[in-house]
Amino acid sequence: MTVQHSPASPRTAARSTARGGPGRTPADPAAPAAAADPGAAAATAEEAVARVRDTLERVFAAVERTREAAERIVGGARAVGAAPSTADLAALRPLLLRQLAEHAPLISGAGFVAEPGSLADAPAWLEWWQPGPDGAPRPLRLHLDPDRSAYADYTHWDWFAIPRTTGQRAVSGPYVDYLCSDEYSLTLAAPVTVGGEFAGIAAADVYLRHFEAAVRPVLRRLPAPACLVNARGRIAASNTARHVAGSLLRGVDPAAVPETGAHRQGGLELRRCGTLPLVLVTG
Amino acid sequence: MERLSGGAHLGVFAPVQNQARVGAVARRLGDAIELGLLADGEQLPGEADLAARLGVSTVTLRGALVALREQGLLETRRGRGGGSFVTAPSGPPAERLRTRLAEYGVEELRDLGDHHAAVSGAASLLAACRTDEDGLARLRRLEEEFAAAAGDAAALARADRRLHVEVAAAAQSPRLTREEIRFQTESGALLCLALSEDDLAGAAVRQHRSLLAAVEAGDGQGARALAEEHVRAAVDRLVDLRLHLPD
Repeated sequence: MTVQHSPASPRTAARSTARGGPGRTPADPAAPAAAADPGAAAATAEEAVARVRDTLERVFAAVERTREAAERIVGGARAVGAAPSTADLAALRPLLLRQLAEHAPLISGAGFVAEPGSLADAPAWLEWWQPGPDGAPRPLRLHLDPDRSAYADYTHWDWFAIPRTTGQRAVSGPYVDYLCSDEYSLTLAAPVTVGGEFAGIAAADVYLRHFEAAVRPVLRRLPAPACLVNARGRIAASNTARHVAGSLLRGVDPAAVPETGAHRQGGLELRRCGTLPLVLVTG
Repeated sequence: MERLSGGAHLGVFAPVQNQARVGAVARRLGDAIELGLLADGEQLPGEADLAARLGVSTVTLRGALVALREQGLLETRRGRGGGSFVTAPSGPPAERLRTRLAEYGVEELRDLGDHHAAVSGAASLLAACRTDEDGLARLRRLEEEFAAAAGDAAALARADRRLHVEVAAAAQSPRLTREEIRFQTESGALLCLALSEDDLAGAAVRQHRSLLAAVEAGDGQGARALAEEHVRAAVDRLVDLRLHLPD
């Protein structure tokens, strides 16, 4: 990749550049370039984009099923003039357990998260299931009492806030999910809206290592250094040690990339992965 | 894959000391009761369920429950609707926390501080390199929450722990985040004790501000030094308090 980590982040570009720390050092020009897979035919950037899109759209298809089911439950309760209860939401369980089984290991958590104050019998609620240490699915039980738990308010997390404020589906992360799993994850979420009123979100978690396993083969077959970044420039996967997952790719503006075609920024090619907020950067 | 050497094997497969696990579970639940995370009169989940959630055997859990009953933090009711119920301790909170502090030796406190300073310092350095606008906004909000909690030691301790966890999350490291969470479950009550001292809580507000300014400026080394200093200030105070407790 010809554009390297800028020594200064965009937010501090005008300030001092003499800083230490990992991720700040310019890439060593003598370092090996991307390790192209010798035994396999080269892949095109379009193939890589398609692989990323297909992987995550499969997860979004599951989220869509949860969204529809949650909408029916909330809508059914409201039709008889009641707020839905946690017992009503328990009807989602067979569907959520099936998703965990069908999409293992890619989907590592699935469920519905209620808008606080919208349920009859709980101030806040996650109908959330994830595999336990033995692989058997378990419900997530959180301390949601704001006076006692430091983690009670989940409305600030991107996976909740973005669908709530934009009405659109969202890919949140990569981020350290210390609320549900303590894992480095992506969360794919969609708003559940009934009669124009926001009721919560349907979502699924994908541990980043499982996402990486799904896209690594095609990234490795790309002839040039490449990485996938989210809208903030955070790297989700790459084919080079110079740009590892979790670090920020400086000096590019992924949000400016149109949905189709290759977009050039500073000698790099950027491609959106369909309508997903992930961008493949090559060059 | 390279095979582990004989010595490493012995370490890996050595039994996890049951007594240590009993102590760890008792300390965690005891701290939660002291901090009010578990309320007076609250019924604990059934033994099998609770043991599964804590990831320990029912034998280990029972050992811990016996210890908590001896400390007067739990009572057992028999018969229908029976089980283990929280009995919130009486007396001023500072006194009770001092009693818990007495369970630690100075060397243990020093080592706890060294470990926490190493984790917190490394997390702060990486956060300065890796956080984005969103991460910074979350840190700022928690810093304000902490400053606004002045005078309420339990609320200060909650906000402080959350801030430390968020710094580790901003570092994009699940391992460092898990370590920070472990510190808060293992030593949350001690932190609460330290923050019940007004001058230390005031200093912590200033330390948080400087730390966040360094993270925002991308000054990794500065952030690391400030985080280490912040942990040391609290541990030094705990050591002072511990040394002045009657033996």
